[in-house]
Amino acid sequence: MLSKLKDNNHVVGYVFSAPFIIGFLVFILYPILSSLYYSFTDYNLFQSPSWVGMANYEKMFTDDEKYWKSVFVTLNYVIASVPLRLAFALMVALLLNKTIGGIGLYRSAYYLPSLIGGSVAVSILWTQVFGDQGLVNSALGVFGIDTDTSWIGNPDTALWTLITLSVWQFGSSMLIFLAGLKNIPKDYYEAASVDGANAVRRFFKITLPLLSPIILFNLILQTISAFLTFTPAYIVSRGEGGPLDSTLLYSLYLYKRAFQFYEMGYAAAMAWVMLIVVGIITLVIFQTSKLWVHYESKGER
Amino acid sequence: MKRVLTILLTLALSVSLAACAGGNGNKGAGNATNAPSEPVKTETPTTDDKKEPVTLKIAWWGGQSRHDYTLKVIELYESLNPHVTIEPEYASFDDHWKKLAPKVAANNLPDIIQMDISYLSQYGSLGQLEDLTPYTQNGAIDISNISEAAISGGKIGNELFAFNLGSNALLSVIDKDMLEKAGGTMPTQDWTWDDFTALGPVLKAQGKILTQDLRHDVFFPFYLRGKNQLMYAADGTSLGYDDDKYFIDFYNMYKGWYDNGNLLSLDKLAQKKGTPEDGELELGNAVSTWGWSNQYILSSTVAKRPFEILPVPGWNENKALFLKPSMYFSISKNSKVKDEAAKFISFWVNDVEANKIIMGERGVPVSSAVKEALKPLLTPEQTKVFDYVAWAEQNSSQMNPPNPIGAVEVDKLLKDTAEQILYNKLSVADGAAKFRLDANKILAANKK
Repeated sequence: MLSKLKDNNHVVGYVFSAPFIIGFLVFILYPILSSLYYSFTDYNLFQSPSWVGMANYEKMFTDDEKYWKSVFVTLNYVIASVPLRLAFALMVALLLNKTIGGIGLYRSAYYLPSLIGGSVAVSILWTQVFGDQGLVNSALGVFGIDTDTSWIGNPDTALWTLITLSVWQFGSSMLIFLAGLKNIPKDYYEAASVDGANAVRRFFKITLPLLSPIILFNLILQTISAFLTFTPAYIVSRGEGGPLDSTLLYSLYLYKRAFQFYEMGYAAAMAWVMLIVVGIITLVIFQTSKLWVHYESKGER
Repeated sequence: MKRVLTILLTLALSVSLAACAGGNGNKGAGNATNAPSEPVKTETPTTDDKKEPVTLKIAWWGGQSRHDYTLKVIELYESLNPHVTIEPEYASFDDHWKKLAPKVAANNLPDIIQMDISYLSQYGSLGQLEDLTPYTQNGAIDISNISEAAISGGKIGNELFAFNLGSNALLSVIDKDMLEKAGGTMPTQDWTWDDFTALGPVLKAQGKILTQDLRHDVFFPFYLRGKNQLMYAADGTSLGYDDDKYFIDFYNMYKGWYDNGNLLSLDKLAQKKGTPEDGELELGNAVSTWGWSNQYILSSTVAKRPFEILPVPGWNENKALFLKPSMYFSISKNSKVKDEAAKFISFWVNDVEANKIIMGERGVPVSSAVKEALKPLLTPEQTKVFDYVAWAEQNSSQMNPPNPIGAVEVDKLLKDTAEQILYNKLSVADGAAKFRLDANKILAANKK
């Protein structure tokens, strides 16, 4: 029996993959399923959850103004920050794709904000930069614009400070763009120049089409991460989502429901709605990609 | 290629979402019990001496100075009771409650929890806290020098879920020098809100403001008390006041200050950390600050200049002034060492040496013996607070019962509504109506 087991190659495989399988079941599958269960319950952590059916979902869609506010804030944030960030990343990638001395240094320097970007420290730095005595106001003062509004405390501008923060963290997208740019054969550009195409035309007719799979990849990745943004909003608004709920991102509202008001069931339901919505948006982006993404090898489609 | 991408993305997405929704199982569950090194005892026949080593977990909120002196008190206790080891957990107010929530779910609350009145109903009536009455009866918590009035502040019904650590009263702190330099006269104790409003233009001429803000969840209920109204109904299922006129009057007054530039603008207020270090009074930009008496000492320490104390206007209407337990210690239901926890609480409120370290920072001590012993040691600023609370005790009435479950959310709602009013997104009358509607919706969950 034992020797039979020993001879069985599968066992070795299972043993080696056990850490992942067990980890997946315990830390991923179990929490996912229990959060699905909680989303149908009223659960305040103090008492055991009680089944309420669809009540959480009903309340969310019909009877919670703040929920919709947070949805609109999040959509605003995603729609503004993702394209800006990608455009910025592409622009910097194009600049860094030149062969000049010390380019490695520049690349590292531009990647730096992304390395430290998600952290609490940067968000705190941001409150200093956009505060009433902050860097932005000092810079404006140099140009003769004297103001002491706090950009973070003003409901009209608070979300834009977060969007700026997101755009500033373009590094990882830039790196992927850069790799994509390196992959475009030089001959194409040379051939186009010979035919008299100028730089703008070369960019739109060669670079963009050949880069489109990379753009798709970045777009999806950044859209998902933008939907899940939490730390900057939490730190900049001190966990409140203010002023006037203008920075109340979806994940922040979810967090408030869970940990300020102890409504775990409701928060779990919110998480599931988010999952479904992000899933749908990702699918839609994939579907539209047929129209604008060009693969060099047609066979793979 | 594309399909693999889809699968990968979907997986990554669901993993990160699930982690954010359900991954709060039981942080800090695996706390190693730190057995204290008990002094080796010679084998003597006396059996009562030998005490089992005990580990007490205690959690509180506060700023750095509170953390520092609390740790000193713990050290003192440990040196007097070598068999006890205390594991402290401390955080800011908001984080304190966020850390406790998952521990409730994991049935792993610290033995002693610093409790606030706004969370007392939630933790007490939902079965997380031990009734302390037996411990006060069997002497584990010595109450011989503590008045019944002080103790009852921790009761829900007949059960004592939290032990009062000190008394607080509402006050306003006035920078008399600034006021007189601006040409104003120091108001008397019997001042009114109109007197306060009248100071606005005087200070504005000097580029100063009245105060940065008044906490809505504190001062609106206080205003209601003066009108013989309650913020919350006795059964906790709705708001306690029937007429929106009170809301409208109070917020018309508040908006008046704001529109006249007598308060800190909201965009700047949003940046404040709420510590004395960045308070507008302490920085010399505002003539007053409004809050609880135990906060006064820190204010004047930070500002390095003395201030004057006045009662909050309206204190003499309907005996609105009240003494409130500044904070409590509670013992969690899941604690396995409740007797030892009770002894520590008794030590905290009764021991003179310990209170020489605490010096009333958690409110004026509830024990009359401790209060007497501290008197000669107080600084002039501390004396002001002790005197004010003593005066308030004579001129106050019973405080409101603890806020019902859901009050934390209603407090946030009030703040939101007030901000919308100040930003001119809502008229005061509409705000009053909307606040009532939404607050009652939250509180209706308490209906059985």
